[in-house]
Amino acid sequence: MSIILHAERLCRNFGGLQAVDAVSFSVEEGEIFGLIGPNGAGKTTLFNLLTGLTPVSSGTFNYKGKFLTGLPPHRIAGLGIGRTFQNIRLFKGLSALENVKISRHTRTGSGLVSGIFGFPASCREERLVEEKAREVLKLIGLSERAEELAGNFSYGDQRRLEIGRALALDPKVLLLDEPAAGMNTAEKQNLTAFIRGVRKQFSLTVLLIEHHVPLVMGLCDRVAVLDFGKLIAVGEPADVQRDPAVIEAYLGAE
Amino acid sequence: MEEFLQNYGFLVVTLLQQSLLALSLYFPLMTGQLSLASPGFYALGGYIAAIMLTVDGCAGVRDYLGWAIFPLGWVAAGIVSAVLALLVGIPALRLRGIYLALGTIAFVEIMRVLFLNMEITGGAIGIFDIPQLFEERWSYILVFGPLLIATLLFIYRLERSRIGRAYKAIREDELAAGAMGINATRYKVQAFVIGAILAGIVGAMSAPFLNTWNARQGTFDASVSYLAYVLIGGSRSLFGPLLGATLLVALPELLRPLKDARLIINGVVLVLASIYLPQGIVGAMSRLKRSLFKIYAARGDDK
Repeated sequence: MSIILHAERLCRNFGGLQAVDAVSFSVEEGEIFGLIGPNGAGKTTLFNLLTGLTPVSSGTFNYKGKFLTGLPPHRIAGLGIGRTFQNIRLFKGLSALENVKISRHTRTGSGLVSGIFGFPASCREERLVEEKAREVLKLIGLSERAEELAGNFSYGDQRRLEIGRALALDPKVLLLDEPAAGMNTAEKQNLTAFIRGVRKQFSLTVLLIEHHVPLVMGLCDRVAVLDFGKLIAVGEPADVQRDPAVIEAYLGAE
Repeated sequence: MEEFLQNYGFLVVTLLQQSLLALSLYFPLMTGQLSLASPGFYALGGYIAAIMLTVDGCAGVRDYLGWAIFPLGWVAAGIVSAVLALLVGIPALRLRGIYLALGTIAFVEIMRVLFLNMEITGGAIGIFDIPQLFEERWSYILVFGPLLIATLLFIYRLERSRIGRAYKAIREDELAAGAMGINATRYKVQAFVIGAILAGIVGAMSAPFLNTWNARQGTFDASVSYLAYVLIGGSRSLFGPLLGATLLVALPELLRPLKDARLIINGVVLVLASIYLPQGIVGAMSRLKRSLFKIYAARGDDK
């Protein structure tokens, strides 16, 4: 397998705080790569660096060998890195369908004039967008509620819609920030199956931040552990679980 | 009909004109940006048209073009407004929320002081005796009316297009829109420029209509009026600015028999609307429609 995403000594500090401290890792194409660590370990900051939302302080990262460091978020998204947010950031005042349609932006090209006058190319494109968006809603099981406002959805449905919105980007890499937060056991099991399913269907690479240990252990091919911004272990879930440094980070030193 | 137009023609044209200016604020608002720059571009457009129509240097062109000098003025005003909006918008749109509002008020003030002190704009006196496009005042309905219809159609189509969706995404959550591949800066500037073009063209149409043009045309007061149109009418639907402008332009006329007390009532209406109709009248109506629909649907279930 080839490496799709590679980070080299990524750093980010906020004032005196080293939120991400010289983190290097590689993600292989097609794997589900877990990112765990105590609260405040820098997991979300690392996601923000990889999607361009937070500029890096130093270090680089590349995607399929192309350096993305310093690119704005919309460019990175356009290249095929989609994400969800820990604190759900849907377009709450818009319908579920519109939320998903918006992600087709980089995969379409109608300009202002063409859209206003309804040129044939633009109409054709609009039909394809509609089709694709309906397809995604069907996949996440929300096709019956396409016209409802995203803000009116239940917590779990909002999480699913957010994943759907990211999938509509046609990403190659999907970054999920605590997708199971606030879900019950049955929902978590569904989510596990769902993530496996979409990985296969769209040949995705998935990076996943998660606190729920059984879910991470069951789902991820490899796991990286962050603690105080430093990467303290990377490997298969079972090995990482036995790593003394990881045990210390989670439970404190003996 | 003839008598109605003689008496109320000026009011109808003013309604159309103010609706258009309210809509010029609606474009940046589609991307969630509160810009009050419209009066600056409105004044600019008016000066461009007024200068083209009065300056001796343009006399040859005017004789050659005849009435076509008027549309040429609209086009020139639109183009100059677009260029200026691009120059102003790129730095200004780095500001957010109330800071952008303040920045754009500063822009309006700068333009006003410039116009007040330049020779070509006639200084404090301004430009007067601007040639007329029509013999009758009310005939200006024929230019403002089609522009209003075109603008409404433009917005209606825009809101259902790829670009319009990008605008809405930015309004809802700029950061998330960026993460979904939308270049927020680009579309915020684009919406700002479209609003400026509209305000500039309206200015160019208004200069002959008002016969004189001076620095009082683009002031902070005008910024506040246009903002009031949008707030009262509703900022989430294209009918909001339209309704707000119509009500607020018509209200003082309807209250005219009350003499000076009308200003008090005008103010009370504004305050009450902002307290009880935070989403504007159109927002309140659509909420009412939804809840009526729910009651209706619930009754249907009972049967």
